[in-house]
Amino acid sequence: MRRGRSYWSQEDRERHQRRSYYYEGPHTSHSSSGGQTREEVVTPPVPEHAAAGSPMAMSVDFKTYVDQACRAAEEFVNIYYETMDKRRRALTRLYLDKATLIWNGNAVSGLDALNNFFDTLPSSEFQVNMLDCQPVHEQATQSQTTVLVVTSGTVKFDGNKQHYFNQNFLLTAQSTPNNTVWKIASDCFRFQDWSSS
Amino acid sequence: MSLPSGHTMGHNDQVAQRRARCSDIYQRRLSSRSEKVSPGMHSSSHQQQDGEAAMHGAHMDSSVRYTPYAISPYNRKGSFRKQDQTHVNMEREQKPPERRMEGNMPDGTLGSWFKITVPFGIKYNEKWLLNLIRKECSVPFIPVEFHYENMHASFFVENASIAYALKNVSGKISDEDNEKISIFVSPAGIPHFAQKELKSEKVEQIKLAMNQQCDVSQEALDIQGLPFYPDMMTRNTKMASNPGKCMAASLHVHEENIPTVMSAEGMDKWKGIEPGEKGAERSPVCTTFLDNSSNINSILELFPKLLCLDGQQSPRPTLCGTEAHKMLPTCKGSFFGSEMLKNLVLQFLQQYYLIYDSGDRQGLLSAYHDEACFSLSIPFNPEDSAPSSLCKYFKDSRNIKILKDPYLKGELLKHTKRDIVDSLSALPKTQHDLSSFLVDMWCQTEWMLCFSVNGVFKEVEGQSQGSVLAFTRTFITTPGSSSSLCIVNDKLFVRDTSHQGTQSALFTLVPTAFSSVPAFSQEQQKMLPS
Repeated sequence: MRRGRSYWSQEDRERHQRRSYYYEGPHTSHSSSGGQTREEVVTPPVPEHAAAGSPMAMSVDFKTYVDQACRAAEEFVNIYYETMDKRRRALTRLYLDKATLIWNGNAVSGLDALNNFFDTLPSSEFQVNMLDCQPVHEQATQSQTTVLVVTSGTVKFDGNKQHYFNQNFLLTAQSTPNNTVWKIASDCFRFQDWSSS
Repeated sequence: MSLPSGHTMGHNDQVAQRRARCSDIYQRRLSSRSEKVSPGMHSSSHQQQDGEAAMHGAHMDSSVRYTPYAISPYNRKGSFRKQDQTHVNMEREQKPPERRMEGNMPDGTLGSWFKITVPFGIKYNEKWLLNLIRKECSVPFIPVEFHYENMHASFFVENASIAYALKNVSGKISDEDNEKISIFVSPAGIPHFAQKELKSEKVEQIKLAMNQQCDVSQEALDIQGLPFYPDMMTRNTKMASNPGKCMAASLHVHEENIPTVMSAEGMDKWKGIEPGEKGAERSPVCTTFLDNSSNINSILELFPKLLCLDGQQSPRPTLCGTEAHKMLPTCKGSFFGSEMLKNLVLQFLQQYYLIYDSGDRQGLLSAYHDEACFSLSIPFNPEDSAPSSLCKYFKDSRNIKILKDPYLKGELLKHTKRDIVDSLSALPKTQHDLSSFLVDMWCQTEWMLCFSVNGVFKEVEGQSQGSVLAFTRTFITTPGSSSSLCIVNDKLFVRDTSHQGTQSALFTLVPTAFSSVPAFSQEQQKMLPS
């Protein structure tokens, strides 16, 4: 039930135009501005997020969330896998303190454990072939802006054969007045063919 | 299943209504467990008369007659699974539709029972539901042993034409929220209440015979072409003798041998929380529901892979690691946060795929939030030419790595439950292999449960009929009413299995994991990994 939402309201159109100069493209975070490190996933600020069910919620329409989710996802995926392959030690900067990872059925929880885990993983070469994302409904997140990101492709860990993989992330937005920083709240990784030799 | 947000009723009214509904449901669940025989049941001879009377009044041809050339399953060798598949295929070619639903008795007569199921029927009052069905049904019928089972309502009828007429009612009736009500029909062998004819010694003989035949098959249970009957997935595949009576005895045996319950752990928020009622007051039905041991065990039987792999390590660690400097962690089976959540998720999946594979996906409307999202993808491999088995999914595939058109990006993300269910209904018809499911529960908060399912399914119609595809499906759910889950996000990824070798390669890890698992005897229960 769309309840009369339009796709592009006048407000949103104006807001979008104001921000287009700010968003430079997928590698924004690689140009250091405002003290960002290379391992941060940053997008323009999140639209005003009103409480669920209030009249204000209607003004931020679904399309905006979808667009924002796509931008975050594309940027995120580029940075994540490059960091995983080339700057493994910095990878945990992309995770929240209490983030969890389920890696082929192994549960890893909290930054310390994640650091150990990524340290013990052999070096990797990822090739992502598929990426999709969805904005997560606010009822599940209690208005904490969250995006579901799903990827698939191949990975070769040093000393092992190549595997097809599927990975799911929940990214949450941490907003500042100037931008939004996205971090991984949860991560689920599986080889597609994990049971065959 | 869950009240959408922004409902116009006042909060107190909502709570009162939900409580009333819940306490009704509580009564239904309580009474369904204690009574074995419906108090309204007539003697079997009386039923037979009614059945025949109904038939004469029926609109269809009374083409119910003995068919000497139909090959009954018990006459053929080989596994039960193969027999029935061939049998059904034959029927499809030669006989009118209602024939397909007849159970076969050894002497060829057609006194056959059918189980009629209304998914999520636990929401409905028995009288109200039956009246509603009667209004729409073209023939009169006597529902026998009406009961609630998990989330569903079921009853039996003893006639193929009646069962067929009831099947036609599916989707033509709606509840008070204007949600369509679906009806599923499957052959039922002899329900236990009608087993009085079977003497107790015969039952013992059958039990013995079953135990002897209960060796575990190495192949995935092939239920393509079988009328969908969830309990059949737990039955032994090698019932060479009388399948009708065997099934009846096995229904009986199953109930006797249910082992004692494992106590549910506390994840209090998930014991039937209502949206907006964060744990302050919980309806009693939900606690009872989740402690139901027979539910838990029948579900675990549907997912044998989870029983074997859960928490266990791979028997071949060299699969994942070699003598490199760093080894890959051992790959493990399904991951669940707790026993209680595991049962919740497994029940959800069982119900979801029951409807998804039924041929009518409109029944899924009640599983989704009003504003849910859905999208699907197939793999993009630059080197591959498009695999033919995936081509039906191609036009809906959303891959934003290569898709740059903003209009399409929006279009391919389905929003609102109506759009989602319409979109799902347009996808090819499937038969999922629940025994292949591997589940990762990877995010859990007070308001959200997020899990991914990996498994395989078969296409059951069209050009690629019989081809096996693999999938990964991620569900983000919130607590719904009556301890159900409400889907807010749904992401499906479909791929073929060709690069992984044959289908059996997916299951080599634990050879017995994917087999159809018979009803567990107490001895067998002790042998299971805890």
